Amino acid sequence: MDVLTLGFMQRALVACVVVSAVAPLVGTFVVQRGQSLTGDGMGHVAFAGVGLAFLVGVAPLVGALALTVLAALALYRTERSGLAGDLSLALVFYGGIAAGYLFATRSGGGLNAVLGLLFGSALDLTWGQVAAVVALALVVLVAVVALYGPLVALAFDESAARVAGVPVDGLVLTLTLVVALVVVGGMYALGLLLVSAMMVIPVAAAAQVATSYRATMRLAAAIGAGSAAVGLLAAYAGDATPASSIVLVAIGCYVVATVVRARRRRPRAAGSVAS
Amino acid sequence: MTAAVALELDAVGFGYGRDAVLHDADLRVREGELVAVVGANGAGKTTMLKLALGLLAPTSGVVRLFGTPVASFRDWQRVGYVPQRAAAASVLPVSVDEVVRSGLAGALGLWRRPDAAQRARIAHVLDLLGLAAVRAAPVATLSGGQQQRALIARALVTAPRLLVLDEPTTGVDAAARATLRASLEHLVHDEHVAVVYSSHDPHALRGLADRVVEVRDGGLHDVAPAAAPAPGGGR
Ligand SMILES: Nc1ncnc2c1ncn2[C@@H]1O[C@H](COP(=O)(O)OP(=O)(O)OP(=O)(O)O)[C@@H](O)[C@H]1O
Ligand SMILES: [Mg+2]
Repeated sequence: MDVLTLGFMQRALVACVVVSAVAPLVGTFVVQRGQSLTGDGMGHVAFAGVGLAFLVGVAPLVGALALTVLAALALYRTERSGLAGDLSLALVFYGGIAAGYLFATRSGGGLNAVLGLLFGSALDLTWGQVAAVVALALVVLVAVVALYGPLVALAFDESAARVAGVPVDGLVLTLTLVVALVVVGGMYALGLLLVSAMMVIPVAAAAQVATSYRATMRLAAAIGAGSAAVGLLAAYAGDATPASSIVLVAIGCYVVATVVRARRRRPRAAGSVAS
Repeated sequence: MTAAVALELDAVGFGYGRDAVLHDADLRVREGELVAVVGANGAGKTTMLKLALGLLAPTSGVVRLFGTPVASFRDWQRVGYVPQRAAAASVLPVSVDEVVRSGLAGALGLWRRPDAAQRARIAHVLDLLGLAAVRAAPVATLSGGQQQRALIARALVTAPRLLVLDEPTTGVDAAARATLRASLEHLVHDEHVAVVYSSHDPHALRGLADRVVEVRDGGLHDVAPAAAPAPGGGR
């Protein structure tokens, strides 16, 4: 395929596939902990970070990283204090959108660039941006591999993990920080509004057919990477926006997985009739 | 020679808000001893067990695990915990093997995978609880009793010297209770583990406990196991 000889397509492919493969690895833990929307909220905060970056004149990545890390610390604090919970989450995230829009309009020329980061611009990446994405993804990958056992224990049962001697507080903070890294890493390619979709949808699809946690994780990463490749090529062929078509392909995978699951069950229910 | 004290509550008081759930609670459990904690729904059994494990901090008094105040206790491999729940609820698929293995997470720390001895221990507890045949199965496909046993296996995988079970008999049928009773008897009598379990039903594992303690009006009261009220004739 000669599309793959095009430089911008190569860059888009690397960035989208890497982010979409790594996001579900983190998503497996986030979804199991019942915090599917944390990534989405982080995207709102990163939006404020990007706006702030344009206002003060630093790289968007730096602003997004700074504010999401701060938000991760704030979230960890409120979650641990157990007081405001849901409400303080909402406060932080809506505050992010409001501040982001304010910063962006103040910075004048930055507004279009900021809005571009909401939905990503996979086809306009520089190799420098691709390198930053790959570096962030590597950090996330190393963290997930190193912390796999403790993270599984935490995701499955926090109290039991604590009694098993897992340093639960530090681990929760680390997981929140890793979510922030995924969101910032996916910002250029998939955009702040859709990157968290890749943390959740491939996991939901894999969970339909897998029979173990490890298998769910691996399959989700494969579904994420596959959706990115197929979605990107489809976007190029159909002149569509890459982030949308990638997420829609992932949702298609989810639908296929639910059908596969239903088919697997049917023979057992109707077994006596068939045989 | 008297066995070591595994768990000690010394004049422990606790309340979630202003009202005390527990006050002046005293309890000592030695290795090789099996203590049942009974009490009505909402009496404070779960609260008492969470205090014992350091999951809640007492407002007064001290909790000690193996002689160490729970706040500075680090040797968690010696403690196993089976939380109260009807089923091993999980959003994502998880196999029995993975549930049991997750009990080793604290002992393993970063990067490391279970060594030969730990893998042998996993196989041993799966056998002990009659789960060897379903070890690769997703937990969600198991019966309630099997799920409960998977959680007990997880608690036992580090070979703890103190095992705390919160309502292990809830939603478990007679046959599964018999398996549970046999497993607990083996642990207490052969491996000299200290076992504390709670139950809102004083007859659930009748005759098994060395001591029965009732949580009532915020206090712990000894109940002689032999004098435990017969069904229908209770207080
Ligand atoms: N997280 C909490 N916040 C506030 N109050 C609580 C909390 N958990 C328990 N309580 C209250 O503390 C009291 C004791 O609860 P606990 O769960 O310890 O009872 P229990 O004996 O384990 O009951 P059950 O047999 O239903 O398991 C109850 O009145 C309960 O309403
Ligand atoms: Mg309880």
